Amino acid sequence: MSLITRNLPRIFVQSAQIAAARNIHCTSNNASAALAERPDSRVTATLIPGDGVGPELVYSVQEVFKAAGVPVDWESYFFSEVNPTLSAPLDDVAKSINKNRVALKGILATPDYSHTGELQTLNMKLRNALDLYANVVHVKSLPGIKCRHSNIDCVIIREQTEGEYSALEHESVKGVVECLKIVTAKKSQRIAKFAFDYAVKNNRKKVTAVHKANIMKLGDGLFLRSCEEMAKLYPKIEFEKMIVDNCTMQMVSKPQQFDVMVTPNLYGNIVDNLASGLVGGAGVVSGSSYSSECVVFEPGARHTFSEAVGKNVANPTAMLLCASKLLRHVNLPTYSEMIRNAVEKVLKDGKIRTKDIGGQNSTQEFTYAVIGFIV
Amino acid sequence: MALRVIYKSPLKWTYNLARAQSTMSAFEIQHKTPLIKKQSVIPVAMYGGRNAVTMLPGGGIGPELMEYVREVFKYAGAPVDFEVINIDPHSEESNEFDYAITSIRRNGVAIKGNIETKSESAGVLSRNVALRNELDLYVNVLHCKSFPGIPARQKDIDIIVIRQNTEGEYAMLEHESVHGVVESMKVVTESNSDRVARYAFEFAKKNGRKKVTTIHKANIMKLSDGLFLETSRKIAKEYPEIEHNDMIIDNCCMQLVSKPHQFDVMIMTNLYGSIVSNVLCGLIGGAGILSGRNYGDHYAIFEPGTRNTGTAIAGKNVANPLAMLHASVDMLDHLGHKPHANLILDAIHKTIAEDHLLTPDLGGSAKSSDTMNHLSYTQGLI
Repeated sequence: MSLITRNLPRIFVQSAQIAAARNIHCTSNNASAALAERPDSRVTATLIPGDGVGPELVYSVQEVFKAAGVPVDWESYFFSEVNPTLSAPLDDVAKSINKNRVALKGILATPDYSHTGELQTLNMKLRNALDLYANVVHVKSLPGIKCRHSNIDCVIIREQTEGEYSALEHESVKGVVECLKIVTAKKSQRIAKFAFDYAVKNNRKKVTAVHKANIMKLGDGLFLRSCEEMAKLYPKIEFEKMIVDNCTMQMVSKPQQFDVMVTPNLYGNIVDNLASGLVGGAGVVSGSSYSSECVVFEPGARHTFSEAVGKNVANPTAMLLCASKLLRHVNLPTYSEMIRNAVEKVLKDGKIRTKDIGGQNSTQEFTYAVIGFIV
Repeated sequence: MALRVIYKSPLKWTYNLARAQSTMSAFEIQHKTPLIKKQSVIPVAMYGGRNAVTMLPGGGIGPELMEYVREVFKYAGAPVDFEVINIDPHSEESNEFDYAITSIRRNGVAIKGNIETKSESAGVLSRNVALRNELDLYVNVLHCKSFPGIPARQKDIDIIVIRQNTEGEYAMLEHESVHGVVESMKVVTESNSDRVARYAFEFAKKNGRKKVTTIHKANIMKLSDGLFLETSRKIAKEYPEIEHNDMIIDNCCMQLVSKPHQFDVMIMTNLYGSIVSNVLCGLIGGAGILSGRNYGDHYAIFEPGTRNTGTAIAGKNVANPLAMLHASVDMLDHLGHKPHANLILDAIHKTIAEDHLLTPDLGGSAKSSDTMNHLSYTQGLI
């Protein structure tokens, strides 16, 4: 009711004036930006800069958002496994993401050996706490980036809460270590359904299940069977299966044949990185992790690029594309388009390039170039 | 049976004959299709807080209204993605229709207009009915509440009509045993009556309702309606805090138009439900306002309350968008997006009650698109 009274004067504008009046209420300097959206609603999102170059990339996103007048407020948390004393507690971070439903996250570094005997990494803990079961990496050839292959457009969907990442390892006899790979029907069905629903929603034609059921007949067999069952509910989407070794070969020789791919945990991790390499590396591929309630947007290939910290050379493209996807998810499609177009224009122009895609420019220069195309 | 088909259209008969030879006769199709389908559950399509929802625009004014719903959802920022499936009313093929059912199975929730079934051959069931049977949507809920700002015969009505949705007269079991004598079966089962009654009492308990009235014609149909009535009496004993009474359908209709305020929650079999909901809609302002909800154990479908196609006013920009909008609000409520539902509800309220933009069916002169523009505009400012 208070909303009504507060806006009462504004409501009594004649309907004939609607079109004109709507323009008056634009908040952005871009005239087309506010037409499709409610101008005075702001979105809060959780921000986890991460390790390595994460904070620099996140800063770049914030600069671009500021320049575009994007109505997003950040709730920032320092969260890190390699720097445990400064890190915010997992509960706080999980609570914040649960509340806001969306987050933008840099990459968390993971030490190779555990000093505490802990088998789960912080990344895995966060995923389990929020049940972020589906990782989506959209690998797409970008204009202006020279690679061996062109016209790649595939989506890799990876189950990331079980499989090899279950953190169940033990040494029964000295010198013999067993690592358990867990596959459950429930989670396999869930990820298969996610992949098919993703395909329906985004007008994709084909789903490829990647497996190794010829060797792991029970574990991967269950995953494959779940995918096959689910495929029956989607008669309009082609379904095929491919063994992971063959899949990687096909990926480097003829990547254009793939559309949506659904994979168990470890295979997905490998295929993600391989596909990212095909289109220009870790700096240009965006990804996201879904639970049923919330989404975390993060770069697609998980590298912290820690050797470049403070050198101002990292490529912010991946993080900017993540931000653009975040905006589309929270119903701000015009801003999302604006940022995506600006990034693509900068890449296409080719005057400003960071080191990883064959240029000499800094992160900051790239960011300013993107801003230049926004305003 | 077969004779009637020949009489109506020879072409369809050849079609049916061809099909009957390969599979079953029309009679067998009707009689071998079980009424209750066993369901297996699959996860609901909700990812990152966004729901996927099947949208079946249907015929007549359906497509226009769905366009409005999508427009409003865009303004409200409702986290819903629609999977639109158009079903051709003239086609006898059921591919698209089967796909629609599969799609609802996947998504769990659908919003629909009225799907026309033009075919009159016995093998082709009414698609609306088939949809409910196939998904086992055994209960239909219609909340009849007087709307401020809409001229109506009765004021302050607040009645919940709960209707058995899958059997009764809509069992679609008809046959012509002897030439000139057609029998139509009305099927009442204890299990379905039990589910409906239980739903009604649970609903009453949850929403703080005081009274449940069973509507029947057990004085004539002593066995079928008798079973329905008996079952609801049995369930009523488990809910001593809620008052239960019953009323015969003819008396009920009279009471509805003269003293509607005596009713609270009403439960009834299929055909009576159809009649009572139309009577009530008429009392509070017509077909264009209320929305109906169909629930099964696993699926939910939301649609305009009176299930009219509105073919006569299609494309004229005079259709009342309220019913479909209310259906979309119900859907958002069901999906748990309360803030968005309230946002749209507030905007509807403001457009109708404060700014009086009424479409011709409510005695106004506004075009559908005017109402919609105004609605979106109001919403944009909230």
